[in-house]
Amino acid sequence: MNSLSNLLDGFVSVLSVQNLLYAAIGVTIGTLVGVLPGIGPALTIALLLPVSLQLDDPTGTLIMFAGIYYGAMYGGSTTSILLNTPGESASVATSIEGYQMARHGRARAALATAAIGSFVAATISTVLLAFVAEPIATLAITFRASDYFALAVLAMVTVTAMVGASLARGLMSLTFGLFLGLVGIDSLTGQARFTFGVPELLDGVDVVTVIVGLFAIGETLYIASRLKDLPAKVAPLEPAKGGFAWLTRQDWARSWPAWLRGTLFGFPFGALPSGGAEIPTFLSYTVEKRRSKHQDEWGKGAIEGVAGPEAANNASFSGVLVPLLTLGIPTSATAAVMLAAFSYFNISPGPQLFEKSTDLVWALIASLFVGNVMLLALNLPLIRVWVKVLQIPRPLLYTGILVFATLGVYAVSGSVVDVLIAYAIGVLAMFMRRFDFPIAPVILGLILGPMMETQFRRALLLSDGDMSVFVTRPLTVTLLGLAVVALALPHLPKVWARLRGGSAQRLSFAEDD
Amino acid sequence: MSDTTHNPGAAKAAPGPIVAGGLMFAVGALLFAQALALAGERGYAPSGPALAPVIVTGLWVLVSLGYLAESIKSRAVPAEGGGSWRMPLLLLAALIVYALVLKYTVTGYVLATAAFVLATARLLSTRPVREVIFRDLLVAAGLSVGIYLVFTRLLGIVLPAGVLPL
Repeated sequence: MNSLSNLLDGFVSVLSVQNLLYAAIGVTIGTLVGVLPGIGPALTIALLLPVSLQLDDPTGTLIMFAGIYYGAMYGGSTTSILLNTPGESASVATSIEGYQMARHGRARAALATAAIGSFVAATISTVLLAFVAEPIATLAITFRASDYFALAVLAMVTVTAMVGASLARGLMSLTFGLFLGLVGIDSLTGQARFTFGVPELLDGVDVVTVIVGLFAIGETLYIASRLKDLPAKVAPLEPAKGGFAWLTRQDWARSWPAWLRGTLFGFPFGALPSGGAEIPTFLSYTVEKRRSKHQDEWGKGAIEGVAGPEAANNASFSGVLVPLLTLGIPTSATAAVMLAAFSYFNISPGPQLFEKSTDLVWALIASLFVGNVMLLALNLPLIRVWVKVLQIPRPLLYTGILVFATLGVYAVSGSVVDVLIAYAIGVLAMFMRRFDFPIAPVILGLILGPMMETQFRRALLLSDGDMSVFVTRPLTVTLLGLAVVALALPHLPKVWARLRGGSAQRLSFAEDD
Repeated sequence: MSDTTHNPGAAKAAPGPIVAGGLMFAVGALLFAQALALAGERGYAPSGPALAPVIVTGLWVLVSLGYLAESIKSRAVPAEGGGSWRMPLLLLAALIVYALVLKYTVTGYVLATAAFVLATARLLSTRPVREVIFRDLLVAAGLSVGIYLVFTRLLGIVLPAGVLPL
């Protein structure tokens, strides 16, 4: 019950005025930005990094970031339901039925089942996180370099294999990220690699630069290339009717099992290195659709189709925090940015985190509970405010994104070369979107690649260059074996469908935000 | 970058992915050659600095070939409705000019940003100037001055002040 008392300490620390303020700022900014079409949580955190560096308060800043992540997910669901433009791709599943509900005059019910479902899922999964994290961290202390190498391989393989419809495109994105990770001075030997004579490249390519380029610049340029195709109609919000929290008795009855099932999908898939929320949201959507007693409503606004995926989406965030906090392994683009945020404060997530920074970790976990209560209060009563945000004129919205993107890179690096690199990556990202390459593997390659190389070389140094370390240690072998299994996993839905005699429905996953 | 796209009438044959794949292969091959050169100097020792570059760029070459094969096989599939590439190019030009003006002239953050906001908003807008100019001016001034004050006064991040007496 050590976890419980630690968690209580965490609550004590979060319930200070200052940390509550950070949480409030985080969830508000998160919702605000999540509502804006085209900006996801990863980009928001990347843009806010320069600001947070000045705060000099790691706990407060990380609490704020967690709030931003959750807020961005709530905001994303609002955008998908009212505008059918998912703010981030984990909301794609929600938008399918959610937008139909809004079109049929049930926008409030859709928003309510999304918000309450998110709250339920986040609360349950944060409890799970609180009790799972410390045992895993304890276990992880025994991990050696070869295990970390295998773990990084596993994370990379699974993320890539499951993201996007094409393995070739997923691998190409990953390879590009791995390459970006190689740029700069090799940490063990001082050898310059792929710097092309540019002195600014000796330090490597900064994560913030890459993220701003991939998400902000890339997305804006891509949208600019097809301005005419954009849907700009916000579904109207009907006047509030009866029912508790805008949901009728029947809505409640149909929503809650979907919330719980969504949570069950979301948390483990988030915790496994499988690339965040896309797989569980689509799994939840498929399962709810199969189980539904209201088949005629699907495609016209079935409430389960909103409740399940939204719950899965939020539950997966707590799941993603498990490998991030206990092993220091990011499994989604946003987790990769959070890892970068940790490193700016010289905190390295991993098994030692729970020993060295006990207060910080538990304050962070406790803040997830607090942030979710805030978000529930923020989203349902204030929904009209967020609808207003959706109506920001597009030219000004995208201009603003470009200004903040430039500012973010410039403030972190102070160098115009970095800004130009971000623009160049943005151009590449535009073409990646055009040709349907997933974006998240780039970030993961950038973060996991150097991690993998370092652990690989460290393992060899420890074993005096004996390659057999990778095949003799059971844990290492198991993890590498799992990586092979993960390559087969994306084909399971097909197999499963065939076993159940249903039609073979190919799941295709969108990328992380 | 524009080779893949200057040909809007080509939607039927969908050469975009093939050209993109070819480009990726070419870039990959160049990088692979560079990695091999490095390995020539430093050797292939697994604990040395050259192995990872050789593996990653080698993977790049292989994967781009795989992608190329895939796009040649599926060339019957019509390309998605291609957009216009004029707008992204103009935006990119605006961005580059903005960054260079910030760095190499004495214009300063506030004036450069305000001008950038006005220009970009105009580029992206479909409405006549007189309908939106007042709104755009207001946003341009508010955004640039607001960011400048918050970042320099509250956050201690240095932004070029330029000619304005701020």
